[in-house]
This record gives sequence, structure tokens and C-alpha cells, in this order.
Amino acid sequence: MQAHAIRIHKTGKADVLKWQVVEVPDPGKGEVLVRHTAVALNFADIQRRRGITPMPIPGGMGLDAAGVIEKVGPGVKGFRAGDRVAYVGLGMPFDAYSEARVAPAAKLTKLPKALTDRQAASCMLKGVTAQYLIRDTCKVKKGDTILVTAAAGGVGSILCQWAKSIGATVIGVVGSQAKVKAAKAAGCKHVVVPRAGKFADAVRKLTRGAGVDCAYDSVGASTWDEVMRSVRRRGTAVNFGGASGDVRSLDFAATGLLGSPYLVRAIMINYAVTDDEMRGRVRDLFRAIGRGDIKVRIGQTYKLKDAAKAHRDTETRRTTGSTILVP
Amino acid sequence: MRVYETGPPEVLTWEPVEVPPPGPGEVLLRHTAIGVNLGETMRRRGRNPMTLPGGLGHEGVGVVEAIGQGVGGLRPGDRVGYTGRGMVEDSYSERRVAPAAKMIRLPKAIADRDAAALLVKGICAQYLLRDTFRVKPGHTILVHAAAGGVGSVLCQWARALGATVIGVVGSRAKVKAATAAGCHHVVVPRAGKFAEAVRALTGGAGVDCVYDSVGVATWTESLASVRRRGTVVSFGGASGDVHDIDLWATGPLGSPRLVRAVMASHTVTDDETRARARDLFRAVAAGRVTPHLGRTYRLCDAARAHRDLEARRTTGSLVLIP
Repeated sequence: MQAHAIRIHKTGKADVLKWQVVEVPDPGKGEVLVRHTAVALNFADIQRRRGITPMPIPGGMGLDAAGVIEKVGPGVKGFRAGDRVAYVGLGMPFDAYSEARVAPAAKLTKLPKALTDRQAASCMLKGVTAQYLIRDTCKVKKGDTILVTAAAGGVGSILCQWAKSIGATVIGVVGSQAKVKAAKAAGCKHVVVPRAGKFADAVRKLTRGAGVDCAYDSVGASTWDEVMRSVRRRGTAVNFGGASGDVRSLDFAATGLLGSPYLVRAIMINYAVTDDEMRGRVRDLFRAIGRGDIKVRIGQTYKLKDAAKAHRDTETRRTTGSTILVP
Repeated sequence: MRVYETGPPEVLTWEPVEVPPPGPGEVLLRHTAIGVNLGETMRRRGRNPMTLPGGLGHEGVGVVEAIGQGVGGLRPGDRVGYTGRGMVEDSYSERRVAPAAKMIRLPKAIADRDAAALLVKGICAQYLLRDTFRVKPGHTILVHAAAGGVGSVLCQWARALGATVIGVVGSRAKVKAATAAGCHHVVVPRAGKFAEAVRALTGGAGVDCVYDSVGVATWTESLASVRRRGTVVSFGGASGDVHDIDLWATGPLGSPRLVRAVMASHTVTDDETRARARDLFRAVAAGRVTPHLGRTYRLCDAARAHRDLEARRTTGSLVLIP
């Protein structure tokens, strides 16, 4: 069958995203044909489109989406046409920005009734990221105090809500006064707005000098020093993103004097090595949403064919919260 | 032993000094055995800062000779040891005054020189395998300088806890000592490389934890030896400290936890230190850890001990006897 999809023939500005007709093959062994109903826009998509993160050219875009199964290939068990599903496309070609695609059934999770397709699409990658950060990278427990930078952001706001529901005290760091309210709404007990880039002293004060048990940082180069200084003796400092640049250089020997914190650069491929591991995380995420521990909010919705505009608006910071694309 | 200027082992000067009577909360200690640590050679050389002129040596073992005012729980004649955290460096001496709160009573079963061989290195091994990374049955760990002071305690203890221990040693000559310390496998690096050998020994997976005291010379290979989401512990820099690291690049290496473990982060209070020492003494009593006294020197020959240690000619712990 034929369907529309976003294709890229060269990296560059948002207008390299082209809305084209593509051929979608029949599902092969173990595969299904998914008609997308909602597609996530992630900052990583923009980094790939710009050529900062490598991607195959020519190629498609997008990692995670929700949809409905149209056709089931031979040997597929547990799924049938009409099932509502979602996936994080780790290990799959980038092709979520499409009306329909073929995908391995092993990558899919059925959606619970209580979750709309759009909600699911908006939280798959971000929610799974929050899940492994909180359950594995540093196991957050009741009574812990944690720090989250970009606390009003996509992953940040899920992290804050989830940690709070576990019984942790959450200190959020946000880039501007305008985001304090959103961070509080996400469950932060305290919100710190850095002054001249500094926030460790403020965090120390809020923890009576001790520092936090765990700090989660997605800002990277510009915040990392202060993140390490905010962690308690033998606590954990996790970097999971580089919005301000990657953490390419730090004085490791000097961290002994900071109380020997554990430093981790967490990336998803190390937390979802098998499809089963990924599906376990997705199910844990859906349970947390089902319990109301995490509320999924969609910031804005664009038509999939207007993906270029969605990219542009995200790049110029005209969006808030998560963005989804609807075919 | 006094140091007036940093430099080669000869700067260690053996001379009489005045030892004051113990003040309030202090004890006068007669040393019977003093452990030598690599850190002392680094301060002597001027690679790490030290007070000049000044004494040297953190840890010591000895007998309480006199107690100052307000000292409870200790009497003259008690056998004690100390790690020297937060104290003036002065254990390369016949006698010294020291805070009573820092003293750790020694069990009868442990001889003075064994205690000196073991105390700081054993406490270091204790926090490394109980806290920095909690070794459990079924774990596979990699230990650098497996024939060395801390390394040999780590290997014995980890094996007794049910772990598979892979040792890395600098030369063929140390393979036997590493095996005797409990290593199931011993790797001698070829042109500095050992990660591939470690992968081969672990079915490609890598180890759960790397304990690295060598530092800059081994760090890259250590990172390449650890399993996905494992732990890499740096607890020394025999070849130079690991300063500049690329955290981002450790993502593709499996997102290991990196930790620079130092004693100060693990012995914040005297009680914490004592609790670690007690755990160590229990392990000795249970036969999990046997002190590995490498060689003893007369205290006045401390320069020779430093020379041997720096030449990497030694295995086990070096102890000075006054």
C-alpha cells in the first residue's frame, strides 16, 4: 500500500522535512502493519535532522508513536488487526513520522483503555526514560531527596511527578522564573532558579548542608559542575542529556573531594537491551499513569505533514510541554 | 622521621624529636609497627602536598603508654591502631601523641605487625567491597594491582564472599602472588591492553565491577572491561590520577557508574572508621582475610622501604618496625 511519510534527503533546517508518498510493504514474518494515530516529536529528532546526531540519509524520522494494527504478518502472536498499540522504536529505522509503517510485533505494547493514543505518543520515549532513571540508574525510594534540572521539561516533569509519588522530596532547577509554576505543578517541593549559573549552594541549604541523594541532569555542560556539587556524600549524579552541550570533560580525581559521588551517563540503549526489557518498562510506565502517579499533558498538536513547522516552533522555544504530530 | 624538603627517599631524616605528654583527650603511644602507604611516597616526592618540615605516615599500631585528662575507655598497656584520618602525619616515629578518639583497639588474635600490614589497606578494601560496590555471590570483579596491599585484601575478601575474581598485575613475576591472594584468573596486560582478555574470561559480558588503583595508565581499558551498567571504581593513582574524563563517551560503553572512592568519603566520623575496622577484624577472625605482610624494615630504614615500593619490587604490605 501507499502512505504519506516525512522523508529527509539531506540534513539541515526544518524545511528539509519532506512530506512524500512512500510504498509500505506487507508485514513480513513477526511483523505488523501499524497505522499511526499520534507521533511523538523529540528533541533528538531535531538533532538528527540538523546532522548533529548521525542518521541514515535519505531516511525517515521519529522514534516513538501510537497507532492501530491494520495487518498482522505470519507468526505474530498476541496481536490482531484493530489492536491499539504504541512503541519506542529503539533498534528500528526512524520512521515514526509516517501515516503507516511495518514494525516488529515484539516492539509493540498494547495500550490500556484509559490512555488515549495521543497521550501515549506524548509520553513513550520521555516516560520510559524517566522510568529507567528512577527505577534503575538510581533507585528512588521513599524519603529520598532528588534534584531534577529542566524540571518543567518533557522528561523532567515526568521524573518529578513519579519521584514525588514514590515519596521522594523533589528539588527542581529551571532556567527562568516563568517556569517555576510548571515545575511546582509537576511535583517539585522546591524550585531553584540559578543565579549566574549557580544553584549548588541553594540546594545545600534546602538539604541542611547534606546535598541530594540523586541528581538528574539533562542540561549537560552548563549545569554539570553544579550538579556534582549538589549531591550528598556517595550520592549519584546522572546525566541523561546535553541541551546545553554534552559533558565531555570533567576532573574525575577531584570528585573524591566532593564526597565520591557516582557519576553516570545514562542512555536508553543500556536500559532496553531486549524487547522484553523495553516492554517491561513501558508496562511499568502505563501502570504509573493508570494509578494517576503521572499525568500526561499534551502541550501542542500539529498535523504530521506540518512537521517542519513543529520543528521550527520547538527550535525557537515557542512550544511548552510535549508536542505530538497527528497524521 | 622528618622531611625538610621533598625529593628522593634520602630526604627522610632519622633524628630525635621531643614528644610532649598527652593533653586532654590524647594518649601517648609507643609504636610497634607502622604500615607504609604509596601516598606517603607521593607526598615525600612532592607529587602530593605535605607540610614542611614535617613528619610522615598516617597509620600506626602500638601500645598506649600514658593517657591525658578525660580519656575514657583506654588504659596504659592497651594495644591499638589508627588510620590517621584528620591527624598530623607522624606515624614514622617511635612515639607520638594522638587523639584517643581515633584509637581502634586490636583483637588479641592479630599480631601488631599484621595489624599494621592490614589496617588502612583493610579498611580501604572494606568500604570498597561493602559500600562503593557491594560484592555478592555470583559477581565477577576485576582488581588491579591484585598482588598489592589493598588489592590482595580485596581479592581474598571478594572470593570469600563468593565472587569470581580476575586480577590484573604488572608483570609475570606477580601472577603467583595474585593467585595466592585468591584470584581465579590473572591477566598480565600486553602493551597496556587487558580489556579483551577480561571480555574473553566473562563470555563477552564484562565484569560487574572494576577496582582500579593504577589510574591514568589503566583507566581506558578499565572502562572497556566493565559490563553494561556495571561500576568502575578508581581508588588510587599509582600511575597518575585520572583527571580529565569524557563522561558522555561512557554512554556507548554501557553507562557504567564511575566513582572516585577516597577514604575521606567513607570515614567521616571516628565511629564509622571503627565500625569498618571491626568488620575487617571479623573477616580476619573468620579466615576470609589473611594479612599479607610483604616485608618488614627497621623504621630507620624507611628510605629503603620507599625505594622498593616505588620500584614496584614488592608484593603485600610493607611495615616499619621501630
